[in-house]
Amino acid sequence: MSAAAHTAGQTRRRRLARGMTPWWLLSAPLILLGLLFVAPLLTLFLIGFQHNSLFNVGGWTFDNFSTIFHTGSYRRIAVTTAEIATVTMLVQLAVGLPLAYVLAFRAGRWELPLILLLVLADELNPIVRIYAYRVVLGREGILNRALEAVGLVSSHHPLSWLLFDKFAVVVVLSTSYITYTVIPVYAAMKAIDPALIEAATDLGASWTVRARRILLPLAAPGIFIAIILVYIPLYTEFATPTLVGGTGSYMLGQLNAELITESGDLGQGAALSALLLAASGVMAAAAYYLSKLNRLE
Amino acid sequence: MPARVRIQRLLPGIASTALVFVVMLILFGPIVLLAVLSFDHSTIIALDWSGFTTQWYRDAWSNTDLRSAILNSLLVATIVTAISMVLGTMCAFAVTRFRFRLRGAVAGLVGAPLVVPWLMIGVGAAIFFFHYHVPGLFPLSLHSVTAVQVICTFPLVVAIVAARLVRFETVQEEAAIDLGASRFQLLRHIILPQLTPSLCAAAIFAFSWSFNNFEIDFFVGGYDETFPVWVYSELRRAPNLPIINASSTLISFVQVLLVWGVWRLLARGDGDASSQTATVVDVIR
Repeated sequence: MSAAAHTAGQTRRRRLARGMTPWWLLSAPLILLGLLFVAPLLTLFLIGFQHNSLFNVGGWTFDNFSTIFHTGSYRRIAVTTAEIATVTMLVQLAVGLPLAYVLAFRAGRWELPLILLLVLADELNPIVRIYAYRVVLGREGILNRALEAVGLVSSHHPLSWLLFDKFAVVVVLSTSYITYTVIPVYAAMKAIDPALIEAATDLGASWTVRARRILLPLAAPGIFIAIILVYIPLYTEFATPTLVGGTGSYMLGQLNAELITESGDLGQGAALSALLLAASGVMAAAAYYLSKLNRLE
Repeated sequence: MPARVRIQRLLPGIASTALVFVVMLILFGPIVLLAVLSFDHSTIIALDWSGFTTQWYRDAWSNTDLRSAILNSLLVATIVTAISMVLGTMCAFAVTRFRFRLRGAVAGLVGAPLVVPWLMIGVGAAIFFFHYHVPGLFPLSLHSVTAVQVICTFPLVVAIVAARLVRFETVQEEAAIDLGASRFQLLRHIILPQLTPSLCAAAIFAFSWSFNNFEIDFFVGGYDETFPVWVYSELRRAPNLPIINASSTLISFVQVLLVWGVWRLLARGDGDASSQTATVVDVIR
């Protein structure tokens, strides 16, 4: 290409880019985000800081927040929530890390179909999935019937802890989020050069050394993404504990919903939402920071 | 000992297969079971088969609450998908094809609804609409559900389309411009063909997200019931209903078809399996 034609091309390219600023493309999405996302979340914070009865809001106060912090039952609910969320996250990592490894290095031609199955697990309707586990885990459920049939459980004393308690909540939540745990870790592992692992094997590194010294450090950014995507929303779960949990597994998300939809206590509901939101922001920032740090090393 | 060595060689393979099998059984076993039970004559859950019937499907069809809930969900999902596709594609172009100040901030804001829990978005929107009596969105209805769902869904489209836009070669775009292509020709002959599979996949995922979005439907829907909300409120009333089995099976079947559709689209768009896998992974991240 001659120099003249080259310059002509560049001018033309510049002309095409001019007049089409990104803000023209971004205006509609940003206005909608402002109105329907930023403004509602700000409102949550503002109402959380105001005195209010059902139809009347006014005057600034910390009452809503201090009530939340000083109510013993709320604290217990927070502890239960942290317990369920943490156990669920650990269960998912225990299953998800090996599964991601299998997908990345051992699945062969099954790799894509298995990933699509994980995607499907996420695309199935969550409420339908929760209901399906109720059918399996109930006192009269499939699992108890099967255990009775093989004689492991007597029909007079079916396993009642399977449903409407923490166990069911952890099981159902683990299955709900497994896609978001496995895929980021899988993506990080996929980027690892298999030669690294082979070299370590050839040099006599045992399985545990390979996992600890190569796989885990290099997959760490994926693990942090998984934690952001999974651990944080676990704290706001509402449908799962309502449908398969019991009084022993009452979670913050349920409390939040009840304050707003049933007690009509907007102030406390808003304050609790704002707290959860702030906490999730802090956790997300921490996980992000840690993952960045790791990449620098 | 050769036998022991052979077993040691086989062990990882066996363990991997067992792990995958158990995980898939736990993930899909219950759903498959629902599907089977939906054709069983008995109204109680039992392992013994008491006869094939399609009665529950007929019951489900004639249940007007259920039918209107499904229609509501379909209507909302269709509108949400259409709006999200337009907004999402515009955003994706802006973020990947332009360099401008605040680009990072814009990308962060657009991505935020993917990280902020839907419960918070739903509760926040409900309180906001109620508190300021936002016209058109309060009293809460399908309109408010649609509006809030767009906010939850279009960032997903941005993520999918932007991932594709970053991946494909800008060399072709530049060549087309050098050869004198107009902006329209550029879009029509260069960009769209490469983008089509991702756009279709994005549409399918957006539809699915909207259809499944229980939290937003529940908090922002007011008296309008969508399918997830219908199932939820039925379940709070009764432990097991054959028509939930039937309608759930039907919905799950459609969702299986949709994910299968994504697979076919990816197979058409990209030749090799590794880039297909990469596309799926982009979608999730």
